[in-house]
Amino acid sequence: MSAIQIIFWFLSALAIVSALMVLISKNPVHSVLWLIMVFFAISGHYILLNAQFLAIVNLIVYAGAIMVLFLFVIMLMNLNNESEPQKNVWMRLAGAVSGGCLLMILVSLVRQAIEINNKVAEMKVGDIGLIGNLGKALFKDYLVPFEISSVLFLSAMVGAIVIGKKN
Amino acid sequence: MKEIILQIDASKSLPLGEVGGAVPLPHILFLSTALFFIGMYGLFTRRNMITMLMAVELILNSVNINFVAFNKFLYPGKLDGIFFTIFIITIAAAEAAVAIAIIINLYRSHNSIDVEGAEELKY
Amino acid sequence: MLNDFLILMKQELVITIIIFILLFIKIGSKDWKNESLLKLINVLLLLNVVFSFIGNQEGVLFNEMFRTNDLISLEKGILSLGTLIISLSSYSWLQNHKHVAEFYMLLLSTLLGMFLMISGGHLIMFYLGLELSTIPLAAIANFDLDKRKSSEAAFKLIISSAFSSGLLLFGISLVYGTTGTLLFSELAQTLTGTPIQIFAFILLFAGFAFKISVVPFHLWTADVYEGAPVAVTSYLSVISKGAVLFVFVSVLYGAFKPLATTWYNMLFILSVLTIIVGNLFAIRQNNLKRFLAFSSIAQVGFILIGVSGSSQTGTASVIYFILVYIFSNLAAFGVISFISAVTGKETIDDYKALYKTNPFLSWVITIALFSLAGVPPTAGFFGKYFLLMAGTGIAGSKGLIIWIIIAALNLVISFYYYLRVVKAIFMDANETPIQKLSVPFLPKLAMIICVAGIVLTGLFSFIYEYIFSLSNGF
Repeated sequence: MSAIQIIFWFLSALAIVSALMVLISKNPVHSVLWLIMVFFAISGHYILLNAQFLAIVNLIVYAGAIMVLFLFVIMLMNLNNESEPQKNVWMRLAGAVSGGCLLMILVSLVRQAIEINNKVAEMKVGDIGLIGNLGKALFKDYLVPFEISSVLFLSAMVGAIVIGKKN
Repeated sequence: MKEIILQIDASKSLPLGEVGGAVPLPHILFLSTALFFIGMYGLFTRRNMITMLMAVELILNSVNINFVAFNKFLYPGKLDGIFFTIFIITIAAAEAAVAIAIIINLYRSHNSIDVEGAEELKY
Repeated sequence: MLNDFLILMKQELVITIIIFILLFIKIGSKDWKNESLLKLINVLLLLNVVFSFIGNQEGVLFNEMFRTNDLISLEKGILSLGTLIISLSSYSWLQNHKHVAEFYMLLLSTLLGMFLMISGGHLIMFYLGLELSTIPLAAIANFDLDKRKSSEAAFKLIISSAFSSGLLLFGISLVYGTTGTLLFSELAQTLTGTPIQIFAFILLFAGFAFKISVVPFHLWTADVYEGAPVAVTSYLSVISKGAVLFVFVSVLYGAFKPLATTWYNMLFILSVLTIIVGNLFAIRQNNLKRFLAFSSIAQVGFILIGVSGSSQTGTASVIYFILVYIFSNLAAFGVISFISAVTGKETIDDYKALYKTNPFLSWVITIALFSLAGVPPTAGFFGKYFLLMAGTGIAGSKGLIIWIIIAALNLVISFYYYLRVVKAIFMDANETPIQKLSVPFLPKLAMIICVAGIVLTGLFSFIYEYIFSLSNGF
């Protein structure tokens, strides 16, 4: 087993365990911290997959901005001591079983489809995810989506301010 | 089974390994699918609004992994997958901002953000 | 290039300009009175409707990311018209609201999102348009700022829409993984119907089903409709549903043509479920907003029958029905919105003996309900008739007779509950009826437009023929 594989398995296990802990922990602050662990693990995967810029963006936007917002709100509402009510056991069991079935279906389908497709990955193109390439494509091929997302941010900002500010 | 192999150019990107590592695509897809269903399970079983929001973020992240992995393994010459991921992250940020504003407003008006506690509406 | 851009994206540009005018009004130093601001906005929206019907051209921009043709322009025009009607009829509610300019900014940005979604030729454009049309909508669902129900509705809307876009995105990612393209035009050629593609398609379908509240995914609908302000409810039930349905038809007939058998079967199962569940729940409701929510679920079931037709008639009947549905539902919502804004009454019991005090409002809502039920002289009858015709396959497509029989039986059930409201208005006695209300000019105008629309789209066959001539099947 090479170093890359070890890193891969470590990151995957970390991601799944932390994701489970997000749901298991009763305290919302702990949930947020575990979620940040998930994001770190996923960023590690992005680096392995040669999407370096994305890894940084993921950390900055998710772990840096969104999660801080979450933490801030939790602190503001003083939620950290409150243990929330859970839905009943059967409901949860049913959720787990049906989710598991879907997961199995999807996994088997993926394995089958990969066998059918037998495509081979190009090796050693390590710089496709660097910011230079992305920037060129962003302002050429993806100009319209970029502009649309700016409108989206404007309206999200207006909406959030109107709702969130005190009367 | 013919496996799709990812090799990382060790000399360039990571100084750790002497030889390039190889990870098959189905393993990454398994990871993303597992995260997806963990998120889905959390969304349906938790009642705290902030935790529900976190479950949604998990779902979106699993999708992101899928896109990046497909982009790297199958279509390394194009950037579609990476750009889709960038836009998903962008929109998730906007969505979280609005959702949190709504939660703050709700909390201000009745001091609790449990969905069940907020249940004035019925089916 | 610049000329193409200005001409082809004209409809989007007009809306963007209006949004920025509102932004400058808001951050400018002058304090606008609500009345004058509302008048200005309604004039701008009227201009928008006029602009969206004239001088449209066909073309493709930005490497197929954006495309437009006569059919797409017509769909956008229909949505603009609906938005104008909603704006007129929510005048009484907005008159006393503190955030009128923001309300319209958000409303119009959702409309912009829908336009881009309809025009998008690339899955990224489609996804961004979809999100642009839901996130601001969740914000305006909370615009009754001090009501708890309104916030709850907004939260339910944003969480369920985020979840549905999660499903949609997972589907899209698998589609991308198996085909390697995100362009609709290329997808039609590269999809082959392998098991994983079918699974991906099911996820994608589930995402769509959430947005148009098809039955197993309808649970958010009634709560959101009841809690949100009536203007937002009517917008949600008519405009955003209509926009997603337009895209749904074009995606099914275009990109997912190779999976036709899969989606035909799914449409069959889901539409039968949708019609039955929508009807059964609609019978039990007493709150008129919830009543219209469930009846609109049932209507979507009928629309899916038309979608299954997969022919030129299929497309045309869906667009025609949505046009009719906009008029009928907005007439009903216009009356409910006005009465709710003035008196706060929303239940069927409150509407008993409405005819004694407010004959005009009674007639408007009666005509609207007749049209929703599909009583013959109104346009709703023709709309349903064309949908079922597309479903039976008279126009050269395949059809399942049992499907049509179930739909027809449910049509009879729907007569019962629509007419129950009419009976309450005209025949029941009530000791404390709603007092006599004088309707302001703009809401009255909206109601008159709607009633005229209901009658005229039914009477003049060239409207349907025009839509039919623009549509295409596969």
